[in-house]
Amino acid sequence: MSIRVAARSLVFVPLTFMVPILVVAAALGIGVLLIAATGASVPTAISAFWTGAFGSSYAIGASLNRAVPFALVGLGFILAEKANLINVGGEGQIAVGGMMATAAALYGAANLPPILAITVPLLVGALAGALWGGIAGMLKVKRGTNEVISTLLLSFVALNLVYWSVQTTTLLRKPQTTAATQPESPVIPQSTWLPPLTSDPASPLHVGLVIALVAAASIGITLAHSTFGLRLRAIGLNPLAARRAGMSEKLPLLALALAGGLGGIAGAAMVQGDQHVLKIGFSSNYGFDGVVVGLLSRGSAVGVVIAALFFAFLRSGGITMEMLARVPSAVVWICQGLIVIALAGSAAWLDYRAKKGRGR
Amino acid sequence: MLKSQAAGKPAAKVTSDVPILQLSGISKQFVGRAALRDVSLSFEAGKVHCLLGENGAGKSTLCNIIFGIHQPDTGEMRFDGASFRPSEPADSLAAGIAMVHQHFSVIGAMTVVENLMLGRTYGRLQRHRAAEKVRALSEAYELPIEPFRLVEDLSVGERQRVEVIKCLMREPRVLLLDEPTAVLPPLEIEALLDVCRKVAARGRAVLLVTHKLAEISEIADLVTVLRAGQVVDSGSPADTDISRFVHSMIGRDIASLDQTLAASLGTKSEAADDESKAVNTRTKVNALMVDGVSYHDAAGVRRLDNVTIEIRGGEIVGIAGVEGNGQSELGAILSGLATPSSGRVFVGDTETTRANPKAITAAGAGIVPEDRHATACVMPMSVAENLFMNDLRRFSRLGLVRRGAMLREAEDLMLRYDVRASGPDAPMASLSGGNQQKAVLARELSLDPLVFLLAAQPTRGLDIGAVSAVYERIRAARDNGVGVLLISSELDELLSVADRVLVIFRGRIVGELPATQSSREAIGRLMAGHPSTEIAA
Repeated sequence: MSIRVAARSLVFVPLTFMVPILVVAAALGIGVLLIAATGASVPTAISAFWTGAFGSSYAIGASLNRAVPFALVGLGFILAEKANLINVGGEGQIAVGGMMATAAALYGAANLPPILAITVPLLVGALAGALWGGIAGMLKVKRGTNEVISTLLLSFVALNLVYWSVQTTTLLRKPQTTAATQPESPVIPQSTWLPPLTSDPASPLHVGLVIALVAAASIGITLAHSTFGLRLRAIGLNPLAARRAGMSEKLPLLALALAGGLGGIAGAAMVQGDQHVLKIGFSSNYGFDGVVVGLLSRGSAVGVVIAALFFAFLRSGGITMEMLARVPSAVVWICQGLIVIALAGSAAWLDYRAKKGRGR
Repeated sequence: MLKSQAAGKPAAKVTSDVPILQLSGISKQFVGRAALRDVSLSFEAGKVHCLLGENGAGKSTLCNIIFGIHQPDTGEMRFDGASFRPSEPADSLAAGIAMVHQHFSVIGAMTVVENLMLGRTYGRLQRHRAAEKVRALSEAYELPIEPFRLVEDLSVGERQRVEVIKCLMREPRVLLLDEPTAVLPPLEIEALLDVCRKVAARGRAVLLVTHKLAEISEIADLVTVLRAGQVVDSGSPADTDISRFVHSMIGRDIASLDQTLAASLGTKSEAADDESKAVNTRTKVNALMVDGVSYHDAAGVRRLDNVTIEIRGGEIVGIAGVEGNGQSELGAILSGLATPSSGRVFVGDTETTRANPKAITAAGAGIVPEDRHATACVMPMSVAENLFMNDLRRFSRLGLVRRGAMLREAEDLMLRYDVRASGPDAPMASLSGGNQQKAVLARELSLDPLVFLLAAQPTRGLDIGAVSAVYERIRAARDNGVGVLLISSELDELLSVADRVLVIFRGRIVGELPATQSSREAIGRLMAGHPSTEIAA
């Protein structure tokens, strides 16, 4: 009996590594077939992907910058998930964060001393995101509203707030000089831009990456080793017992506000980091993909960083592939979806196997 | 193997020498742990066979094997002499084995008849024909039930009747009952045992799983005792001293057990009362004051009606009542999970009417809630985390948990309260029910200050050793000047542990009696809702 168990676990350990790699390879294989089916040249497409993801210091810098919002939203997701809350509102939290950071940068913060000029818009963005997450948290605590629904619907509200703010000259729209003036904000003052991380002028890499890594480290430690993390876990696993033990009923509110705050920082970092202008749809699904990052990380901060990097390089490569090899963007999205399903499916399958092994 | 027919048992039993169901050498392992080892048993027509054992002794596993939920690793079963290997409950049902589970499997929003027809009819529902059958059965076995009532409106006892009728409708040859009396008030227990007798009298074999000795001496033709998965004793209660079974069941002598516990097992004589009652320990300190509390639930139904309870330090006050008469609501109010509609609550000298759980804890109330899983523990978290859940600040440095210190103190507390686990890091879920409860007691009794303890159904589902430990702790707290409110549906428990007993019926306190054996009948009547005037009659 014990020998059989031991033998199984010997097979099992490499399996947990092999299965995800194999299924991702299979998903990529299907992607290659789809690319071929669209009539594009497969070698051209692959080389375009490589160029876009890793081909230059620009490509690498841009990819790493993309990882920042993925990681921040993913971290917020796992934080709320600890308290058994599903925050799918990353998109809206990014949107309000970016919008309010832009407002702060345009209305005054730019004239503050150097460090404050950068941090004040970031903080304003964080607070706006926290408010957005907090509304869902308040609804949850006071009324028991399902946070999946409230965070999702609040995202649509936020996206339209951005739309409204950049359409309205009295708010954030840049002065209309010609009929062709785009509905977007003016460029925010350079004093509020996130400083570059490297001296390489070709690389767009900015300190957002450092912010994301520091956030990952602190969230990781908080969840695993702090009393706050323990409380979140208790209330997530058994709210009644946690309440009986004197824990605050408002913890879910705090968890969602913190998750929203991380999303807000992500939005602010996108605007202050590389976009420098607030445009309609500037959040371009980073918030929704960030949820997927959080899901794939399976509750670990390190997992979030890995998944965020994976998604960032995938997206960079995909964009270039679309431009250079004329592969339809839909194919890139299909590939991404397949990879997510493959990873989630293999994780579920491994869990099932482990459980079945224990049950015997 | 057990053929001796008890002398002096009620006659008119159909007996035969060939057992209906025979188990030989049954063994079953779960993840390397032996749940059953080489168990051999036989069930004969017309006999009530009692299976006695502590929690975890393997009683339920054995039932589940007979009923086809689990399959044995080794050994074989013979039904009517032929090899019998059920691979699922449907096989056992088809063979003529029915089981009343510990937990009910009825649907509240459906009527009795509809529940009974579930999975047994195809095509058109012939409610009235089914109702005829139900009435016939309920008359034959004296199981009064109204076929067209909604199950959710039935009492616990009535719901169980539905379960029993559900089994009897299949006209089983073997009827298994897994701890059916655990949830019943005293009067209903009598009725159920009566049904068992009648079922056996019709030539069926009955297997009754229990850990109550009083029931055994009343009904069993044969007793088999399981301990740690093995048959350690068997015999007929008619010619065996009942205390021998206790000894076999727990592996130690009944004399070594707590007096009150012996009483709760139903083995203590009624004369030996009161020596554990500590009238002298009652102090003048107010422990709990519930002043005219009423409570309406979310649907507006009145669950508590002008309840007044006053507890001084150093006494144990019991609340007797059939479950569902407001005890849960009272517990929720005292623990801060519900707010009374009117009236006031004081813990010590602090008003806690509208206080949250944290403030109630701070006022000095320890709470052992009735549902350990739902409100006392976070099962997937570690024992240490559960022990200090209400006092995390003690182990916090810069917001981080000082895990080493927490584990050390947890180990210490576990030692003092005899909480057995593989370590303070073990998940709460891995502990037995008894050890979980001891951990909850350890947490609540180490509160400082502690002036009041609520113990709601504190021994439900626990094995005898753990019950003994729980009683010891509660009495020790009382002797230290803590006022205790003991809510229990076990009358024996109340009579032996409490100093006085209040009876609750439909949310009202309908009487107060001293907790002596002589109050038993009066309390039982009050619990059933008979006005106290009838007691004299």
